[in-house]
Amino acid sequence: MKPSPLLETRNLTKVFPGVVALDDVSLTLSSGEVLGLVGENGAGKSTLMKLIGGVYAPTRGRILLSGEEVHFKNPKDALDAGISIVYQELNLIPHLSVAENIFINRLPRRGSFVDWSRLYRMAREILESSGMHGIDPRAIVADLPIGVKQSVEIAKALSYDARVLLLDEPTSSLTGPEIENLFRVIRRLQQQDIGIVYVSHHLDEIFEITDRIHVLRDGKTVAVMPTEGATEEELVAKMVGRDIQNIYYKGDHQPGEVVLEARGLSDGFLKDVDFKLRRSEVVGIYGLLGSGRTELLKAMVGARPVQAGELELRGRTVRLRHPQDAVRQGMVYSSEDRKGENLFFGSPIWKNITYLAIQIGHFVRMGFTRVHEERSAAESFARKLNVKAPSVDVDVYHLSGGNQQKVCLAKALITDPEVILLDEPTRGIDVGAKLEIYRLIADLADQGKAVVFVSSELPEIVGCADRVYTMSEGRVTAELVGDAINEENVLKYCLQVGTTGEAAS
Amino acid sequence: MKLKSLLSSSEFIVFLGLLAVGAFFAVTSPVFLTKFNLLNILLQSSIQGIIAIGMTFVILTAGIDLSVGSVVALSGVIMALMLHGGVPVWAVILINLLFGVAIGLFHGFSITKIGMAPFIVTLATMAMARGLTMVFSDGKTIFDFPASFEFFGAGTIGPVSVAVVIFLLYAFVAEVVLRSTVLGRNIYAVGSNIKAAALSGIRTHWILYFVYVVSGISCAIAGLVLTGRLGAAMPTAAMGYELDAIAAVIIGGASLMGGKGTIIGTIIGVLLIGVINNGMNLLNVPPFWQSFLKGAVIFLAVMIDSLKNRPSEV
Repeated sequence: MKPSPLLETRNLTKVFPGVVALDDVSLTLSSGEVLGLVGENGAGKSTLMKLIGGVYAPTRGRILLSGEEVHFKNPKDALDAGISIVYQELNLIPHLSVAENIFINRLPRRGSFVDWSRLYRMAREILESSGMHGIDPRAIVADLPIGVKQSVEIAKALSYDARVLLLDEPTSSLTGPEIENLFRVIRRLQQQDIGIVYVSHHLDEIFEITDRIHVLRDGKTVAVMPTEGATEEELVAKMVGRDIQNIYYKGDHQPGEVVLEARGLSDGFLKDVDFKLRRSEVVGIYGLLGSGRTELLKAMVGARPVQAGELELRGRTVRLRHPQDAVRQGMVYSSEDRKGENLFFGSPIWKNITYLAIQIGHFVRMGFTRVHEERSAAESFARKLNVKAPSVDVDVYHLSGGNQQKVCLAKALITDPEVILLDEPTRGIDVGAKLEIYRLIADLADQGKAVVFVSSELPEIVGCADRVYTMSEGRVTAELVGDAINEENVLKYCLQVGTTGEAAS
Repeated sequence: MKLKSLLSSSEFIVFLGLLAVGAFFAVTSPVFLTKFNLLNILLQSSIQGIIAIGMTFVILTAGIDLSVGSVVALSGVIMALMLHGGVPVWAVILINLLFGVAIGLFHGFSITKIGMAPFIVTLATMAMARGLTMVFSDGKTIFDFPASFEFFGAGTIGPVSVAVVIFLLYAFVAEVVLRSTVLGRNIYAVGSNIKAAALSGIRTHWILYFVYVVSGISCAIAGLVLTGRLGAAMPTAAMGYELDAIAAVIIGGASLMGGKGTIIGTIIGVLLIGVINNGMNLLNVPPFWQSFLKGAVIFLAVMIDSLKNRPSEV
């Protein structure tokens, strides 16, 4: 007889009032296996995780751990049984040490005092056994880089003697080397026979780290496949439920004359950046977090003071001191940070779409907003970009990430700009929405717009851009065109701190 | 849908509270519902109302203006001294309004260019303005102004006080600005998310200057009305008005976090406080208890609104 899998769910179903969030899902996870769990937003990934983690109780179906049926009343039951979840948002207490965070509710005591030396020893054991030798248990969490915090969170999860580890979008705020480090930790845990469920939107990571892939759509299992031999197209097709010819899409345009040119742009962070953008062109900027991509875009639209250098728009030198000046000149910037810098939560979709436009006098007469005209224009843009919402009066807060992103794009495009600077427009959104955005970017260039597309994902930069700049530490490290645009090149140049302006074709 | 959102709005709930409190006093006091008394409540509320309108603009941007009471008093003393110095009434009023603008510009500058917290800046102004009031007046009440000056506080147009007319006109303009202009939309935007506002092309510093200038002008207008009505400029005038104004704005459904609130709500809040003050006087509630009961009503009003939007702990 085959030995029982480490974790198994049988016909697991969860019904919330009015929706079936998870429908008859059977999943298995073996010891030492990394199982990728993928699906669009709303496919049921989080619900499945929460059922396994004891946050919710299933409506129907069973959960088995090493062949034994288990019933979790709360997350603590699951933890005690050896199932730990690391959520996307970190739950560490910033001003405490690494060791205190790991053992926060189980601090070893001597009398009524904390036994510090034992605490640090226990923490060091946990960290070392999972391959995190470099982390000092005494370090204050607030001082650590985000990647290390993520490792601490994993160490904390393992400290409950976890046999099953659920990782929910663990790389959403990590940079390249940090992701590599996380993968090293995961492989180490694999060797210790820990079973890992890895949830991610990043298919390249799924392909790199998992052994098998479990695909969910609309709460149902649509496929379970070994990672080896699977293709990205096949996986995406399963996730979105239709055939995808090309995930990435370059459109049909020939770059025209230069519309935007920066020369020697410098501020406290940017160092002597040269940058060019042509009509009917998609320029990709790739760099790690903190490479200066966001700073460059912000400097060009006047959202960051520039110390040196000049900016030419349509051949004329301009000085933009405020994003409003840029919009008036037909140049818009759409921030990556949807919640923090782009949208107004608490306001309806239509007002969010028109905020930029009313600043330059669209839908306005003598300072008064022409609400009727404004709302219907916003409505037609929302429809054009396929924003899924019952009406444009809905608070943007309630939309999914992908739909919020489409609102951000509508907000930029409704001003009918010539130059469009998109900062990570696909960050944290599901595959279906990503495909629509790739298509939209190509369409904009086909219509003669000049588009900048910043991304942290190599395949989409390589797949969508006509020309690529790589950045590192506030400098442009390379400009790539034609066949030189490939993943190896882009990665190579973004990791180096070289001289500016190196071109390859 | 429209009706439902109206019925569940903060303003409507406070309005029901106002009706309930009014009904209570109507039953318990025979005088309460008389035309004279109702006009009196409106008159009593007009000065608070003018200040609270300015405060609404500030609170919408997630700011606060603690200086309003002191600035009202300082405005009164400055006008009194100018009048006694022989400055014509029209010039006194104009200079007074410019004084309000100057206070607002000072606050705007300190907050945007220096980066000070609104609470601290206006707390400092509150003390400085009150101090100057004492210095200029030598701590004494100043009387005896021309009738054309007192008209703005004590005069009437038909059966209605000029003060009430000023209040309602001012409220109307403020409501239109906030509801229907780009400027109004931008004020809400700055309070809702100042970073997003700047990247949406809104000149956020201008907006912040503007709201503090509105608050300063509101104080100058309130100073004009108050001094006219009392026929005297007192260095201790308008003590504690900042707290009543903030309470009225918050009762009216605004959020101290910014981005939420309306002039209509503020007016209902002002009237609620006015009705409670008036009713307690009619019922001869001892003054010490009046203060307690007023505080309790403010607590209840804000509590009801908070319960609706209660965030979960995790």
